[in-house]
Amino acid sequence: MQWWQILLLTLYSFYQICDELTIVSSAGSPVFAGFVAGLVMGDLETGLFIGGSLQLMVLGVGTFGGASRIDATSGAVLATAFSVAQGIKPELAISTIAVPVAGLLVYTDILGRFTTTFFAHRVDAAIERFDYKGIERNYLLGVFPWGLSRALPVFLALAFGGGLVETMVKALEEPNFAWIAAGLTLAARMLPGLGFAILLHYLPVKRNLHYLATGFALTAMLTVLYGNISALGGAVAGIVGILPEDAGVTFVNNFKGLSMIGISVIGVLLAVLHYQNARRTVVAAPVSNVESGEIEDDEF
Amino acid sequence: MTNSKYKLTKEDFNQINKRSLFTYQLGWNYERMQASGYLYMILPQLRKMYGDGTPELKQMMKLHTQFFNTSPFFHTIITGFDLALEEKEGVASADAVNGIKTGLMGPFAPLGDTIFGSLVPAIMGTIAATMATEGHPWGILLWVAVAVVYDIFRWKQLEFAYKEGVKLITTMRDTLQAIIDAASVLGVFMMGALIATMINFEITWAPTIGEKVIDIQDIMNTIFPRLIPAVFTGFVFWLLGRKGMNSTKAILIIITLALALSAFGHFVLGMS
Repeated sequence: MQWWQILLLTLYSFYQICDELTIVSSAGSPVFAGFVAGLVMGDLETGLFIGGSLQLMVLGVGTFGGASRIDATSGAVLATAFSVAQGIKPELAISTIAVPVAGLLVYTDILGRFTTTFFAHRVDAAIERFDYKGIERNYLLGVFPWGLSRALPVFLALAFGGGLVETMVKALEEPNFAWIAAGLTLAARMLPGLGFAILLHYLPVKRNLHYLATGFALTAMLTVLYGNISALGGAVAGIVGILPEDAGVTFVNNFKGLSMIGISVIGVLLAVLHYQNARRTVVAAPVSNVESGEIEDDEF
Repeated sequence: MTNSKYKLTKEDFNQINKRSLFTYQLGWNYERMQASGYLYMILPQLRKMYGDGTPELKQMMKLHTQFFNTSPFFHTIITGFDLALEEKEGVASADAVNGIKTGLMGPFAPLGDTIFGSLVPAIMGTIAATMATEGHPWGILLWVAVAVVYDIFRWKQLEFAYKEGVKLITTMRDTLQAIIDAASVLGVFMMGALIATMINFEITWAPTIGEKVIDIQDIMNTIFPRLIPAVFTGFVFWLLGRKGMNSTKAILIIITLALALSAFGHFVLGMS
């Protein structure tokens, strides 16, 4: 890893948490982190894959009432960096690097939240002195505990963690431990399920079970259908084989995977119908109380 | 007790909004959470309203460093109500301001957490992540675009709340509830879709009974495609509902389970 790569990733880690606290531009999300780390490390695909997988893992893990949450964003940065630098399989990097890092950085988060208390007390003192500059300065200094709670561990891991990661990956490559590597890869494939389950706990799922079932059934069937059709397309193209190269490529391009945007359009349709239904009930309720039966206010 | 003579201007709102958007939670701490952020956000306006060095200013500065925590997506609505009161009644409004701040921070927190803390990141995160795992970064840009839209919404609400006053809350409640419900429908539907596409492993265990090989995955596919992801998510959902369970413990359990299954050698990876 080059020094400038370490520097850029450290600076990004400093920025991402401040972004989460202020404009919430999504720069603090794991998928964004994977994107940035992929760009810096020169392997966008790996970064996007690791970031995307971790994003799915933490889909439902929001910050509620100021509680710390696992830091999959820094996890994505480190997993991508080491995956590219040392040629570790992305899925293995997720469960051996990203997940432990995400868990450990909860503690630096707590430390950061403690340290800002110090500056809050200095703000109190500045109020007594009518020291307006002091209030503003001590407030803004809070950026350092927050930023460093991510930047410092990321920097230390990037600068000095390489040897440790290398030893770990070497050990996993031994034939005797192949089952561990396979198990960790399986875990990486299972973890999105955790994200979905957490989010379902926050959504009113009991009331909306039919929507959950529809979304699943529709997509499951279409995925299989699309998968089979594109396999068929590939096979036919392989058999035919006599097409000129351009035409062959065009032919295979007809068989794309299932579009998730198409699925979400159906989801939006259901949501809009649900919304209109709810509004109709709101409007209908007072009308039933009017004895004349006239609709007096239909423009709620 | 003197009433404040100062009228807030467009520049004041812009200054508050800038401080709100770009610095609001930087001073977040365990003791009083967003309190110093709230003071920092309106400090220039407090100074204009009460005058530098006055005991009134000190009283209000102290009031605004008391514990405060709400959704960072709705806090300027509260600030709007607060400033409308303070501008009209000065320090006499101290109790009312305190009441509004403590009374509204509770209801707005879960509202913001539901819409902007869970649903928006869930939906946009899903789109960005599914596209990312296929190698496309465009979903991330889409998420940033959505972020610009809700940051504009954050910018607008201060002046809106300042003009409309507290009665706004009652008129907004029904509409907001309907929007949250509709967004939940979309969220739940998309969860179903994601379970069907994003969890990719299958059973390769095929025990032989007598002469016959029983391919369990094949049987499952006959019942319904993608049954394993559904059963697995159902299991994790149940697991999270257990007492004393949290996401960190659940991660450990899933990794242990995956290692155990791998040691057993019954699962293969690479379902496409």
